[in-house]
Amino acid sequence: MTKARKPNNDDVVKVDFDFRRQLAKKVEGNLASFCYQCGACVGDCPAATYSDEFNPREIMLKVLYGLGEELLVENSVLWQCTNCYNCAERCPQDVKPVEVIISLKNMLADLNIYPPTVEKIIGTFEKTGRTTPLSPAVDRQRERFGLPPMKPVPMDEISKLLEPASDEEDDAE
Amino acid sequence: MKPFAFFPGCLIPVRYPAMEFAIRQTLPKLGIEIVDLEGASCCPDPIYFKSKDKVAWLSVAARNLTLAEDLGLDVFTNCSGCTATLSEAYHLLKNDELREKVNRRLKKIGRKYKGTSRVRHVATLVRDEAGYDAVRESVVRPLDGMKMAIHYGCHLLKPSKIMNVDDPNNPEVLEKMVEAIGATPVRHRNWYLCCGKACQHEAIPLNMMHALLGTVKDVEAEILCLICPTCFSQFDHGQMKVAKHFNDDYHIPPVYYFQLLAYAQGIPYDKLGFDRQRFKPESLQRFATSSAQVEN
Ligand code: SF4
Ligand code: SF4
Repeated sequence: MTKARKPNNDDVVKVDFDFRRQLAKKVEGNLASFCYQCGACVGDCPAATYSDEFNPREIMLKVLYGLGEELLVENSVLWQCTNCYNCAERCPQDVKPVEVIISLKNMLADLNIYPPTVEKIIGTFEKTGRTTPLSPAVDRQRERFGLPPMKPVPMDEISKLLEPASDEEDDAE
Repeated sequence: MKPFAFFPGCLIPVRYPAMEFAIRQTLPKLGIEIVDLEGASCCPDPIYFKSKDKVAWLSVAARNLTLAEDLGLDVFTNCSGCTATLSEAYHLLKNDELREKVNRRLKKIGRKYKGTSRVRHVATLVRDEAGYDAVRESVVRPLDGMKMAIHYGCHLLKPSKIMNVDDPNNPEVLEKMVEAIGATPVRHRNWYLCCGKACQHEAIPLNMMHALLGTVKDVEAEILCLICPTCFSQFDHGQMKVAKHFNDDYHIPPVYYFQLLAYAQGIPYDKLGFDRQRFKPESLQRFATSSAQVEN
């Protein structure tokens, strides 16, 4: 993986402020601005422990440099995060790297880029209101434990919540 | 009995009904009345759908919470993922701007989020509302001498500022719960690791589970006790994959805490759905002869 480029005389990083502005519009996407690169988030990060490609401090650095084009790609390293929240526990600046990473994934979704398994589960949720699909076998199993059949989710309500309200601020202004 | 709204989520009622059964059997014996939530959806999950759109994710979570607000009850969940989503929503929606944004969406379906229903994982609820002593008193066949490793998973405790449950660096809640059913908790070196389910990378979860299961084996635990259906699927189905990949043999049955409690409260082994697991906690059956078994 390409490391975040460091500025020197030949190769001055141009910060992509537009990328940072878009990220800051996502819920808790602006938190990376408080990162001072101490690396406290790395030690207990399981993804960093078990993969050479993943490092939350480095992801925050790329955000600070505005290197969106290195993060918002197919097979992005972002998907190696296990969502364990250890980084958020360790960060002295309350950056919550994991939340910045999820906000970056929201930007990936805006570009319609998902790993196939993720896209499939999101699809199941948007269709049925559940992430685990139902089947007649499910109700048979439930019956064995004296449990009632699963009830359908009121999808008319859920679908409306997935779209912005007419008076909601436009995120992509 | 004190009433609480039960948010079962997707994974437990759909794939692991034995866990739901165990919760419904055990809580009334601890003075907790279960009130079902009509019309609940997926929490939505904090891994996949949250990755698509945090505002939509918060809006659906807020709708689920309004169902409990309508009943004037606090909520409890039985899955660490649901706990993460609903607790985080409860926390984030204290922010006026965000709450207003979400309420604009809820207005379309005639609802309004108020923030009056607190959220807890069932393990935390039992600790806070019943207490360890009540758990101990409800047990009719203590699992004396049974060594249990504990997998806390991530979202019962973290982010600790939101969850406010226990010290994530040195928690004790599940150790105490295990002690209350008579078993002996044993801490393994990798107790703080995560199950890896959310990671979309083949090698990271495999290596992590390999490390974790190895240390559970080292301490000779008979069971890996956990409180999340996602962790359960990783350590049951996933354990076969890890064993094959590393050509290793752990044979560590993962068991959801409330099934253990149900068993200790006298529900027969056969009624608890253990036959559906890849790794079955057969060693529990040495307590079966106990005269205390109740017919259910
Ligand atoms: S711990 Fe916080 S401040 Fe330090 S590098 Fe990580 S995100 Fe930045
Ligand atoms: S949540 Fe944080 S600590 Fe955990 S894997 Fe992701 S970046 Fe690493």
